[in-house]
Amino acid sequence: MNRQIRQLALGLMACYVVLFVALNYWQVGRKEELDARFDNTRQIEREFNKQRGPIVTADGVVTAMSSPTPPGSKYEFRRDYPTGDLFADVTGYFTFAFGSTQVERMYGDVLTGSTTEQQVRGLGDLLTGGAGSTGTVELALRNDAQLAAKFLLGGQTGSITVIEPKTGAIRAMYSNPTFDPNTFVNADFEVAQQIITDLQDTPGSPLLAQAYQERYMPGSTFKVITTGIALENGAATLESNFANEREWVPPQTNDPIQNYNGSLCGGDLATVFARSCNIPFAQLAALVGPEAMVAGTEAWGIGEPLPIDLPRPTESTFGNTDDLAQELPLLAIRGFGQSEVQMVPLHMAMVAAAVANGGQMMAPYAVQATFDNESRVLGQTSPRVWKTPISPGTAEIERQLMIGVAERGTASCCIGLNGGVPVAAKTGTAELGDPTNPDLSHAWIMAFAPADDPQYAVSVVLTNVQSTPDVAATGGRLAGPLAKGMLDFLLTGPGARPATPSPAPAPAPTPAPTPRTGG
Amino acid sequence: MTDTAAPTWHVEDDDIVERADSPLARSRRTTELTLLVMAALITGAAYTITALGTNAEIPPGIVVFVAILMGLLLCAHIVVRLVARGADGTLLPLAALLHGIGFVMITRLDDELSGLQATWSLVAIAAFVATLLVVQRASDLARYSWLFFFSGAFLLLLPLVPGLGVSFNGARIWVSLGPINFQPGEFAKVFLAIFFASYLADRRELIAASTWKVGPLRLPEPRYIAPIVMAWGFAVVVMVFQRDLGSSLLFFTLFVVMMWVATERVGYLLLGAVMFAGAAYFSWTQFSHVQIRVNNWINPWADPLDDGYQIIQAIYGLADGGLTGTGLGRGNPGQVPEAQNDFIFAAIGEEWGLIGASAVLMAFVLIVGAGLRIALRTDRTFEKLLAVGLTTIVGIQASIIVGGVIKVVPLTGITLPFVSYGGSSLVSNYVLLALLIRLSDSSARRLRELPDDPTPSERWQAWRLGRRLRRDERKATA
Repeated sequence: MNRQIRQLALGLMACYVVLFVALNYWQVGRKEELDARFDNTRQIEREFNKQRGPIVTADGVVTAMSSPTPPGSKYEFRRDYPTGDLFADVTGYFTFAFGSTQVERMYGDVLTGSTTEQQVRGLGDLLTGGAGSTGTVELALRNDAQLAAKFLLGGQTGSITVIEPKTGAIRAMYSNPTFDPNTFVNADFEVAQQIITDLQDTPGSPLLAQAYQERYMPGSTFKVITTGIALENGAATLESNFANEREWVPPQTNDPIQNYNGSLCGGDLATVFARSCNIPFAQLAALVGPEAMVAGTEAWGIGEPLPIDLPRPTESTFGNTDDLAQELPLLAIRGFGQSEVQMVPLHMAMVAAAVANGGQMMAPYAVQATFDNESRVLGQTSPRVWKTPISPGTAEIERQLMIGVAERGTASCCIGLNGGVPVAAKTGTAELGDPTNPDLSHAWIMAFAPADDPQYAVSVVLTNVQSTPDVAATGGRLAGPLAKGMLDFLLTGPGARPATPSPAPAPAPTPAPTPRTGG
Repeated sequence: MTDTAAPTWHVEDDDIVERADSPLARSRRTTELTLLVMAALITGAAYTITALGTNAEIPPGIVVFVAILMGLLLCAHIVVRLVARGADGTLLPLAALLHGIGFVMITRLDDELSGLQATWSLVAIAAFVATLLVVQRASDLARYSWLFFFSGAFLLLLPLVPGLGVSFNGARIWVSLGPINFQPGEFAKVFLAIFFASYLADRRELIAASTWKVGPLRLPEPRYIAPIVMAWGFAVVVMVFQRDLGSSLLFFTLFVVMMWVATERVGYLLLGAVMFAGAAYFSWTQFSHVQIRVNNWINPWADPLDDGYQIIQAIYGLADGGLTGTGLGRGNPGQVPEAQNDFIFAAIGEEWGLIGASAVLMAFVLIVGAGLRIALRTDRTFEKLLAVGLTTIVGIQASIIVGGVIKVVPLTGITLPFVSYGGSSLVSNYVLLALLIRLSDSSARRLRELPDDPTPSERWQAWRLGRRLRRDERKATA
């Protein structure tokens, strides 16, 4: 019988080997595929039943918070956004069935306390009697500045973005249309699905943060970039002079290029920049040539996704550059920001900031610090240079050119700041060339102030504005007052504050912010 | 009890009080104690970490928990030391480890069940101790083989009694007596294994002789295989009327394996396989619940929200766990229905990962190894067959349910021995364990690894006999 017993042992052993192999098959071999299956809710469920810490603004206002649900609810916590739609573009949303976006997505591990550092600290806290390990994310954005931006936009579609030239800290970034995450985050599946589908079908993509996830034709604001490239390449100097003309026929075509409204325009660089003539910049682009123009736009960061600390940023584009040498007229037109050129609103603020910051373009950031549950700093964003498109000398020339725009050029109507604070600006009116509606355009302005010691750079875009026979929908006239309002608020209005503000008293779930960057 | 054996002892007073020392037995008991302490520490640590993972707090009663756990295991260990000191030292710690892991998972899944399972753990250890104390000689069991047969059959059929049996999840395997629900089938498997071992030990030559010719087949005399056919019949009854596929498969495998080992004829294995295949095919064509199980096994995603839900969630849990697991208390095993019961292995795989699940499989492999080693070492046919039977029960039961959970075989609802929630399962498996330990001790004594000192009851009888002799002597001299 012993032989049979040995065989039985082998047989049973074989059973267990099969089980072990099968276990490997599920737990290792097909792990990733199974984890990714659409009906597998493990990962998200785990996240969802964890407490999440709050997201607070730089001035201490809670924009997202979790609170326990009454016993018997489907989930242990609910997520609320006390500021409604104000910060939706930045905080994003956190849902069970529809994923999460923006800060909720990028900083999910910090908010739930899953980073290694928090885990290790949490272990120490357990022994000393502390509990919970959620983290807090502190935005660089300010609640008051964001409110001002929303107020200034007043329901018009478009974006206002404010960054600090020296650090890249985003202090305000508000776009219309937007959405209120409270409407669907805690709703039942079907309700939430309906609301999200409706939002997706709404024109203007309210679910996207237009300020960094969409791009628009920039019009004349692009001349700051063309001028920068021309100055860097030696194709232009402050002394350059441009003929006073109505039309100019670029090479390779018989089709002339005209100035805005077909006006007569010319003079030295400062004059054509302030008046925003089109022909000089078309000539400069053609003079610089396709290769140097493309290389120059790349130096400004065009063609690369913006280096923001939020998910899925888009990139600005100079258009298709494959056969540009055979299409010099197109190159010339792009030189003043028409045709296929498209810029991200945030990128425009960064262009202004680069001029303001001596030619260095800082990487923009929306989150300035993260804290653990005991208000100890987990991480702080240190400002970092992203691109250096122009030399300090060129930056100085462009600063002067932009001051000229504000003082006597296309923005002089509308950008004069309260208290005589010096300001630099560049306007843009992108004609969309819609054959059925030739008067439809995007109105742009970018500005920074004070011009002699830049604190804030701002970009404003109002999309799809309509000119009327009485009022031309130009950047200076439409967007200018918004940039002025924003800068006035921040520099001389209620938003003006000492360089190191004292932290506002925080609501209950918010830890008192400790050391901060910028201010 | 042992009126024939006792008088043959030459009784000295010293024998009764003192037990001869045995280095081998002592080292086995030291091994057992060390391993038990380790199992208790692992359980205690897992209990703490799981509570940290779920509530982020150290459980308040952790010291009491570990103390009670240690106390229980120590209790079992001391009884083994007293009445079965030559037994294998790994069986009890392995069972304790599985029991501990199971208890931690059950606590994590359902606080209420945790209290009940704790009570059942007490009862199980008590049953273990009682079995070791009552069954002091393995040969005692053989003497009551028919009693075991009838009580086994009775228990198996009990759930079919109207008013007594209760259906749960489609399977009619529960008996409800006032406040107590239990699964008599869990005990029937042990009883029937005892009966089979005894019956086959007595008649294995006769059955193996196969003098009855039916066509080309040579079969044993019908009267010798009648009880075995009856037992097979029980398995079919269980399958058809109680709708308990797992238990039926378990019984069937048990009978076939024991027949094969006893007769040394591989034909029984083949015959068993053919009969099983026939029965399986027949039930697949006849019963919708069998068809559902098979379809779920082939493609659970055909009905992912209803029939296939449980197995799909189990697989997602396993995948989520991956190699190292989600961490104790940090997974979401409650998403699998019946996770504390049949699907506890999926919960372990999710939170303890491949590593923890493999450790559980390994523990079963070691139990099977230890059990079959007992079968190899003993020289008595009955004990050999009983060890084979009991080991097969544990080994097959665990692999059937684990295989079902990880989609290797169709799912059949049975418990994972020592791990799953359930009083009947826990108690019956500890009884089974006590029997294996008793068999191991018996064989060690016969192999002269330790002196075959008399059992307490034998000592008691010897003492009474000695007293009577001395009294007679005094009377004679007076």
